[in-house]
Amino acid sequence: MKAYAFLALMVLCILLVPLTAHYLGEWYAYWGHALLAIIFGVLAVFVKTRYYWEED
Amino acid sequence: MAPPIPESSPELTIGVIVAVTAFLATSVLFGFFMRKKAKSFDEWLVGHGDIGPFVTGFALIASYLSGWAIFGNAGLGYAYGWSGSWLIGTICIMGMALCLVIGYRMRRYVALGARTVPEMLKVRFESRAVQALAGLAMIVLLIVYSVGQYKAMATVWTITTNTFFQWSLIATAFLVLVYIAVGGYTGTQWVSCFQGVLLTIIGWTLGLVALMWAGGPSEIAGAIRTETFMRPGGENTTIPLDGYTLPLPAPSGLAFAGVDWLGVTAAIFMFLLMATGFPHNIARFLGTRKITKREYWVMLLILILGGLTPLWIGIVGFAARAVWGNALMGAEYDFGGKIFGDSAATLVSMSNGVMFASLFAAAVFAASVATLAGMVMIMATNITRDLVHNIRPEIPPKRMLWLTRLMLIPFIIIPLWWTLTSTPPILSEFMAGSAVAQAGIFFFVVGVSMYWKRATKWGAITTIVYGLILTIFHPNAYGKFVGLYHWGYWALLLMFGSALVYLLVSLATKPLSEDKLEKLFPQRKKG
Repeated sequence: MKAYAFLALMVLCILLVPLTAHYLGEWYAYWGHALLAIIFGVLAVFVKTRYYWEED
Repeated sequence: MAPPIPESSPELTIGVIVAVTAFLATSVLFGFFMRKKAKSFDEWLVGHGDIGPFVTGFALIASYLSGWAIFGNAGLGYAYGWSGSWLIGTICIMGMALCLVIGYRMRRYVALGARTVPEMLKVRFESRAVQALAGLAMIVLLIVYSVGQYKAMATVWTITTNTFFQWSLIATAFLVLVYIAVGGYTGTQWVSCFQGVLLTIIGWTLGLVALMWAGGPSEIAGAIRTETFMRPGGENTTIPLDGYTLPLPAPSGLAFAGVDWLGVTAAIFMFLLMATGFPHNIARFLGTRKITKREYWVMLLILILGGLTPLWIGIVGFAARAVWGNALMGAEYDFGGKIFGDSAATLVSMSNGVMFASLFAAAVFAASVATLAGMVMIMATNITRDLVHNIRPEIPPKRMLWLTRLMLIPFIIIPLWWTLTSTPPILSEFMAGSAVAQAGIFFFVVGVSMYWKRATKWGAITTIVYGLILTIFHPNAYGKFVGLYHWGYWALLLMFGSALVYLLVSLATKPLSEDKLEKLFPQRKKG
């Protein structure tokens, strides 16, 4: 269940991308997108290593 | 007063030749050294399966950062202002992170005998037809991608050495041939790692220098607010560049991704899927060793560092627009090769001294020669390994090797001819067409198939066919003849259509038997 909460946060990061562009614009949106992408990446790796780690 | 737009000089020409030669020589030496360590063709392709997180991470950066990111992004920022950000890829780290979490499973297929991405598909679906079709699709899409690499290199060469664009193109094709002939493509992971580090350092440095050169972030933002869109070649408009969408007039303007929020949505999905969809990207995991959780975080850190590089190059374009206005969109900056705004990064680097311009030229060549050489090699082996060997497995390896070498020539010439006869005016916009197709087809056929047991070979085959057909209907290709003018509609139709075809056909057809799937999807250990 917790994994789904993190996946939902990842979806939220995606949804915030056009919203920041529309409401903030210029540099705030430009670097805001990078920040959202980094948060998305951290969450993706966290979910992978915490909930879906594969042992060969 | 704005600094003048720089021109080539004898010192610059020498500097560029020295820097590019030094880069190529280092890459070739690296390749030679690593090739000596590999005892067979298979070992050369995937090494000993002992590549660690640092090398894999930066190799992934190098294969992802092609001429588009390290060079073309400045053209996007320059020509389209903030709306160019959607193709600059401000969210590209999202897609790279997905590639990181999905791609690691490629190792499983190496253990089952796969050495290339189409071979992985052969193992996954027990189908030579899927292997051959995937190889064919890769050839079509990589040819388009190769055109972009040629334009990036030839543009830098033309501007810095004052050579005719057409001669620059031929010279770069010759360089690629020499690079491949002396073995620069070998030792791929290590050479790519070296190139990834180089691209990251130079990309960040150029971005930071450009930011200061243009007077800082607020100066740049202020200047862009006063700018309006100008078409390549000099036709000015009253459409302001200050927003994240650029309402260009229909029908031709609809082919730009940032034209409206629908196009923006498609661009976001393209960046989410394409890092995994690029076969040359996901192939980086074929040689990776088993890595720990901590090393996974190290790889993410590398991807964040490298993944911010395209944003810095985009800033170079904004800086050029702020300082020189729309001058580079004028007819005099055609340079005989429809270069226009794509000259922004090179000219900004030249404005900051010979050494800087030379290093930037080496970086563009690092991104483009290596990507182009890698793609030419992939396309040649697609023919020999995935098609010819599929049909005639009895052909001796020595003859196959000669055939592969022979196939290098057409795959160097075809994109060269394309660039010579029909140069795309804004490089990254053109390459995005191929990126959408690779994202739509291979994210599902390769990426999802590694995790979804129910996927079938018919699902994969129909997805590839559907994706290739839709590719032809790109708004700037045949789409306009059937009323498909809007890039966003086209891209969403390709990506979501591929997903739907893949899902429905897979569910309607029979998967591999349970005992075969057991080998591909072993049960996870509990606890």
